[in-house]
Amino acid sequence: MGESPDQIALDVRDLRKAFGGVRAVDGCSFAVPQGRISGLIGPNGSGKTTTFNLLTGVAAPDGGQVLYRGEDIAGLKPFQVFHKGITRTFQITRVFREMTVFENMLSVTTLDVPDRAARARAEELLALVNLTHLRAEYGGRLSYGQQKLLEFARALMTDPDLILLDEPAAGVNRTLLQHLLDHIHRLQEQGKTILIVEHDMHVIMNHCERIFVMDGGVKIAEGPPAEIQRDERVIEAYFGRRRQR
Amino acid sequence: MARRRHTTGLILLGLVALGLALLPHGLSVYFRSFVLFLMMYVVLALSWNIISGFTGYTSFGHVAFYGIGAYACAILVADYRWPWLATLGAGAVVAALAAVAIGYPVLRLKGPYFAVAMLGTAEGIRVIATVWDGLTHGGLGISLPSAETSMSTYYAMLGLMAVTIGVAYAVGHSRFGIRLNAIREDEGAAEALGIDATRYKLAAFTLSAVFPAVAGGIQAYKVLYIDPPSVFFVQITIAMALMSMLGGKGTVIGPIVGAAVLYTAQELTWVNFPSAHLIAYGLFIIVIARFMPRGLVGFAIDRGWVRKGMVH
Repeated sequence: MGESPDQIALDVRDLRKAFGGVRAVDGCSFAVPQGRISGLIGPNGSGKTTTFNLLTGVAAPDGGQVLYRGEDIAGLKPFQVFHKGITRTFQITRVFREMTVFENMLSVTTLDVPDRAARARAEELLALVNLTHLRAEYGGRLSYGQQKLLEFARALMTDPDLILLDEPAAGVNRTLLQHLLDHIHRLQEQGKTILIVEHDMHVIMNHCERIFVMDGGVKIAEGPPAEIQRDERVIEAYFGRRRQR
Repeated sequence: MARRRHTTGLILLGLVALGLALLPHGLSVYFRSFVLFLMMYVVLALSWNIISGFTGYTSFGHVAFYGIGAYACAILVADYRWPWLATLGAGAVVAALAAVAIGYPVLRLKGPYFAVAMLGTAEGIRVIATVWDGLTHGGLGISLPSAETSMSTYYAMLGLMAVTIGVAYAVGHSRFGIRLNAIREDEGAAEALGIDATRYKLAAFTLSAVFPAVAGGIQAYKVLYIDPPSVFFVQITIAMALMSMLGGKGTVIGPIVGAAVLYTAQELTWVNFPSAHLIAYGLFIIVIARFMPRGLVGFAIDRGWVRKGMVH
């Protein structure tokens, strides 16, 4: 409430989604600050992935708003959300397996972008993630880590302003992870907003400036890492209630 | 280097085109008709490949558009005395409209559901053609005014093949084609990356319907008699699919090679082993499926003889 609107990139208000009788997201609200790296955490089944899907148009919310630059984008189709300047990666990589690395990159830009510009951008990003030597290889032949990098580079093709990363650390070795995190910080320095869903607490606590904690479909806490680590409600959500003596 | 190979390819293509253009004058009616059919199957296989190879929506009912084109030509020539060539354009327009009307609901289905829905759609259109006496003359079929058409249809098919190859090449080497590939590989991810899958699928489907319709119109004018079973013959769909798969679906050259090889093989076995030609044909398909599951072009790509991907 205290922050002025121009400092908020994504304002999620009272978001709700039920699957049959299960209220996966049940009135969740949070505001992602502009130009920062934020984390969304919570135990399994807390509604993080559903929230991510609601933000990116994969599923339509039953109620609530997702305000991006003052515009409600809730219920838009995934490609429409993408064209607002919001992009995402997937928990389990979804590179196009029977297309070359270069084609994977090119597939993202719309046809009104000139061919030359699209190619130049693809080359530049492939060089950034050290995949240039694999540009003519099929996506499916890459190692898992390389696929993660490809997916990350692919997501940047259109120079998005808001980047949602779904478990970037999952299945990635430490060296590669460090590499990815360096890229993420560089994006932030360029003024991008990043929201990470992650189970790896090391990543969340060391790299996010603001953390939102979900449990039972609602946000139960938010704040900087040091505060979240001490928060009773968070500890309770993860480890259960302390036994009363 | 790349440019020189490009030039060599173009010269080769020009020679083939010239050869095909001069060919019919020196050929018997049988061989002229053989080449015409071969060119027709190149058109059909390449068209099928746009929706099924590039986009991954395997259509088992593409003969519907061929039949629609054949009927448009036959009705307009026989009943309305249109000049023949103009009916080809009309057939293309009708097929495009039909493709949008069919594709909009049916392209929401995926995999086997789409395949079977298309099979049903084609059969449904055949039934409509059979019972709508007022328009199609029903099961009696339509006879066209007798004329010597083997030369004019030959050149029309040659022209159509040239256009189809050109369009298939343009799609196969463009970002439009890559985006169709992305839908084939993972439609959900493609949409998350900004691709309006519904629109792209509909565009690919419509494009893949237009050329078979023109081919159907040319074919109707060549044989001068059509009826529902002959132009909505399910085996024509199967031929499109098999040729495309044999050559290598999802590539541009694959369906061309597949159509040439399979149609020639079919004709040879039919001529030499009339009683056993279907067995020989079947064996041939089994061998290909067992040893070259990604088709002849896929086989070449896997061995590094051809570069991977459509855009480099």
